[in-house]
Amino acid sequence: MSYEVGDFGGTAKAPSLDGGNVVHVFWLSGMSCDGCSVAMLGAIAPRLEELTLGLIPRVPRVVMHHSMLDEDAGADFMAPFQAAADGSLGEPYVVVVEGSIPDDQSLSGPGHYAAMGTGSDWPSSKGGARHGDQPVKATDWMWALAPGAQACIAIGTCATWGGIPAAAGNITGSMGLTDYLGSSYRSARGIPVVNVPGCAPVGDNFMETLKELLLHFEGHVDLPEFDDIGRPAWMFGETVHRHCMKAGYYEEGVFAHEPGDNECLVEIGCWGPVVQCNITERGAINHLGGCMISGGACIGCTMPGFPDKYSPFYKAPPGSAISGTTSRITGGAIRRLRRISLANGNREPMWENAGEVPSAWGRANPVVPHPAHKINTFFYKKLQYAGTVNHAKRNKKQPLPLSRDILRQKGVDLEASVPVLQEHLVSREEL
Amino acid sequence: MSIQTLPAPQQTMGGAARNLRFDPVTRVSGDLAFHASADWSARTVGNAVAMATTFRGYENILAGRDARDAVFVSSRACGVCGTAHSICSALAIEAACGITAPPMGIVARNFLAATECMIDHPSHLFLRAGPDYSEPVVRRTSPELWARAESTAAPNAAVHGFAQISQIMAELTRYSGWLYREALHMTRMAREANVIVGGKYPHPQTITPGGVSSTVDATDFNLTLMRVVKFFDYSRRVVAVWDDLTNFFYNADARFADVGQGPMNFLDAGLWEDPHAVDSILSSPGESRWSKPAAIVDGVLQTSDLREIDAGVEEFIRHSFYDDWGGGSQVYDASGNALPPRNPANKQTLPQPGSADPDGRYSWSTAARWRGHPMETGAQARLWATALAGAGSPAGLVESTGRGVRMSLPSGQMPANLIEWQVPGRWNAFERNRARAYAFAQATLMCYENIVLGLDLARRGGTDVRIFTPYKIPKDGVAATGHWGGARGYVSHHVQLDNRVIENYQIVGPSTFSGSPRDDAGRPGPCEAAVMATPLVTSDAGQSGIDVLRTIRSFDLCMYCASH
Repeated sequence: MSYEVGDFGGTAKAPSLDGGNVVHVFWLSGMSCDGCSVAMLGAIAPRLEELTLGLIPRVPRVVMHHSMLDEDAGADFMAPFQAAADGSLGEPYVVVVEGSIPDDQSLSGPGHYAAMGTGSDWPSSKGGARHGDQPVKATDWMWALAPGAQACIAIGTCATWGGIPAAAGNITGSMGLTDYLGSSYRSARGIPVVNVPGCAPVGDNFMETLKELLLHFEGHVDLPEFDDIGRPAWMFGETVHRHCMKAGYYEEGVFAHEPGDNECLVEIGCWGPVVQCNITERGAINHLGGCMISGGACIGCTMPGFPDKYSPFYKAPPGSAISGTTSRITGGAIRRLRRISLANGNREPMWENAGEVPSAWGRANPVVPHPAHKINTFFYKKLQYAGTVNHAKRNKKQPLPLSRDILRQKGVDLEASVPVLQEHLVSREEL
Repeated sequence: MSIQTLPAPQQTMGGAARNLRFDPVTRVSGDLAFHASADWSARTVGNAVAMATTFRGYENILAGRDARDAVFVSSRACGVCGTAHSICSALAIEAACGITAPPMGIVARNFLAATECMIDHPSHLFLRAGPDYSEPVVRRTSPELWARAESTAAPNAAVHGFAQISQIMAELTRYSGWLYREALHMTRMAREANVIVGGKYPHPQTITPGGVSSTVDATDFNLTLMRVVKFFDYSRRVVAVWDDLTNFFYNADARFADVGQGPMNFLDAGLWEDPHAVDSILSSPGESRWSKPAAIVDGVLQTSDLREIDAGVEEFIRHSFYDDWGGGSQVYDASGNALPPRNPANKQTLPQPGSADPDGRYSWSTAARWRGHPMETGAQARLWATALAGAGSPAGLVESTGRGVRMSLPSGQMPANLIEWQVPGRWNAFERNRARAYAFAQATLMCYENIVLGLDLARRGGTDVRIFTPYKIPKDGVAATGHWGGARGYVSHHVQLDNRVIENYQIVGPSTFSGSPRDDAGRPGPCEAAVMATPLVTSDAGQSGIDVLRTIRSFDLCMYCASH
C-alpha cells in the first residue's frame, strides 16, 4: 500500500471510530497520591495541552475528565462519568486509573477507601442509587466504565501492580487494576489492561502510550506492542542498568561506598541490573535526571514486586555479592589495561616525537611511557593493525612544525614569572 | 449496620436554601468532597463539611518495616510534595540516630525544597485556583464583573503585559490561556532543575538519612542555575497578576474581602536550613532555618520554638473514620516532658470505614489542632511566619520587616526590583492567593541563593562539600520527630524504632490542619470555617457556588497529605 506524507507508517488501517476526532479520557483515582497526574502534567511528548487543544495532526482531541484539572465541580463534573457508564456518552472514551484498587467492594457495611461522587451521581443502569447520598466507591466507577472503554490504562505502579498501598501490612486489601478486573477483561476494542508502571512513572511514558493508542483508534497505526504483563514493550524491554551511565563503573568493578559517590550504586542498594525501566535512557523529564544518573539507587519502583521484594532499601541486593565480586576481579583487570590505552590515547603523536608534553597543565604526565606500557602498546598495535595498514606509523616520519613552541622561539618566557595553577590539577585515580 | 445519609436539601419558605455538593471538589490535590448548605436569599452559607474520601494506610504499612525504608515509603504518601515528606522522614531518622546532614547535603535539600515550591505555587495559582478567575467562569457567574473587567486597565500592565483586567482573565482560561500554558511551561522548567539533583519528580530518589545521594558537579550547578534565573521575571509577573486581580475584585465590590474570611491562625515548621549551623540542628531544631517556624494565633506570634510548636499539636478523630487509640505508648520530648496523649507521637492509626455522616464520622482526615486552635498551613502561613518570626538569607535577598517580607529580585529581561508583601488587614481567599504569589518569589530567591551557596561551598572544598553523613540505626528503642516545610507548609513525621524496626510511624501533613473535619469540641477545620463565613457575593445566577469554590481552592489543599 502507498503512504502519504503525514502517515505514521501503519500497515493495517482499522476502520475509524464514529465521531472521529474526539476521545474522552476518564481519569479515575483509587488509592493514589496524585503523583502520576503530576508526572503526566510534566510530560512534554506530547504535552497535556497539545492533546486537549487537538494540536497534533491525526491525533484526536482529548476531552480530559480529571478532577485535578476540570473547570466544573461536583455533579457537573460527574455527569459525563455517569453518561459513559450508562452508554449515553455518544463518543469514544479511554479510562485511566491511577492509584491502587482497594478491596472495598467486599466491605459488608457502608464505607469506602477511595470515592468520587455521591449516590445521586451513580447511573441508574448500574443498579440504582447506592447507599443514598453516600460517596460512590472508585471501585464502582472502575467496573462500570472499564468494559465500554476503548482502552483501560493503568498509570503508575499502584494501579498496575498494587504498589505501596498493597505492600505488606496494608489493611485495605489493595491490588492492581489487572488483579481487580481479572484475566477475562478486554476493552471494547479487545485490548487488555495497558500498564505504564513507575512510582511515579516517567510522564512521557504515559503520554506516549496514550498518544499511540489514540492514533491506533483512528486507524493510523497498528496496536503498539506490549509485553506479557501489558507493559509497552518498547519502553520496558530493557533493564534500567543497560542504559545507566554508571553501568560502565560496574563493568570495571568500581562501586560507590556511600551515598554521594560517583560510581556504580549496586552496593549501596541499587537494583538496576534486575529492573525493567527506561528512566536512564529517557531521563525523568526532557532527558534530565533519572534516578541513578543523579545518584539515586534504583529501588525497583516500576516492578510488580515493588516495594517488598526490593526492601530493605539501601542494602545491597544479595545477587550483587556474586556479580559484584566477579566484576571486581575481571573488571578490575580490564580497567588497569584500559588505563594504559587511555594514557596512550591522551598523547598527541607529535608529543611522542618531540619527547615532551607542551601543556603546562600536563607536566606531571611522563611523555616517555613506562617500559611495561611500551610492551603492551607494541602488542596492542600489532593486533590493532593486523590485516590493515598502520597508518599511524607515518606519524613518526612527520616532521615537527617549525613554529612549534613559538613563545620560546620569540624569547618570551613565562615560566619564571607566572606560577602554574597546580591546585586546579585533578588526576582521576579511578581511571 | 444502618445506612446513614446526609441530610436532604433543606426547603425553606422561599425555597432559597440549596445544598452545594462538591463531590468531588475539582482542582484540589487529592480526593475532597465538600458539602455546604447555601441560603441564596440571605446570600450566606450554613453548615459545611470537608470530607477526605481516600485512605491508603501508609502508617500501617510502615509499621514493622526496616527503619531504612521510612524515607522511600513515607514520601510516597504525596505525589506533589514527596520531597518535603522525604526530607522530613530523613530528619526524623537522623534525629533517632543522633546525626545531621553535612552542609552541602543541606544545601541540596534546600534546593530541592525550593524547586518543589516553584512547581507547586504556579501550579496552584494558574492550574487549580486560576480557572476560577478565568474568562469563561467570570462570564458565566458574573457577567457584570466581566463587563467591568473589560473596561478596567490593569495597573501592573508594564510588568505582566496585559492591558485590561479582562485580558488577564482571558489568559487564565484552562488549556488555551497564555498564563495557564506559561505555568505549565515554567513548572516543567522547575521540574528539570529539580530532577538534576533529585533524580525524579515527583518522589525524589536521592534523599537519604544522612543527607542526599546526589552526585552534583559543576555542570549540575550550571544547568540548575540557568533555569532558576528565568524565574526572576516570572516571579515579578506572577505577583503583578495576582495583585491586579485581587485589587480588581476589592474595587468591584468591597464584600469580596469577606469571601473566604478566617482568623489569622497560622502554623509553619520553617524551611531552608542554614548549612553553617549544622551543629545546632539537633539541639535546637528549626532555629537556624531561613524561614522560621511559627505558631501565629489571631495575627500574633505565639512561639517560634519548634519543640513548643510540636508539643502543642493534637489530632482528634471524633469525626474521622478511625477508632480511638487510647492507652498507646508514652513518648517524651527531648527535654523529658511527656507529650500530650493526642500528640501525633503517641497516636496509632486504627482505620474504621463507615458511612459518611456530617454529625458523626465523615472524613478520612483527622482534625489536627495547635493548642486547640484550627490552624492554616501553606505558602501563605510560611510568608506570615517569615514576616513575624523573622527571616534570614545568606545574600539578604529575602528579609523580614516584622510586618512583611521584602524581596530583592535580581534582573532578568526586566530590571532588578524590590517587592514587598505586607501583612494584610483582612484575611480571605484573595489574600491567600496573593500571599502564595509572593511566596513563590520567596522560593525562587531561596533556590537561587542555595545554588550560589552550593557553588561557594564547592569552590572552598574541605569537609563542607560532603553531602552525606554515615549513620547507624540504634538498636535500642528510640522515638524521634522530624519537621519540615512542604510547598503546602507544615509537615511532621513521628517515628518509634525498636531493634532497628519501625514500631509506629505517624505523618502529619499541612492539610491535616487546613482541610480537617471538626474536632472533638466541634470546632470546624479552617477550610470548613472559611466556607461557613463566606457571603455569596458573586451574582452567580446558576448557583454554582463560585464563592465557596474560590474559598476552598484558596487553601491549596492536598487531601493525600491530610489522610494517608
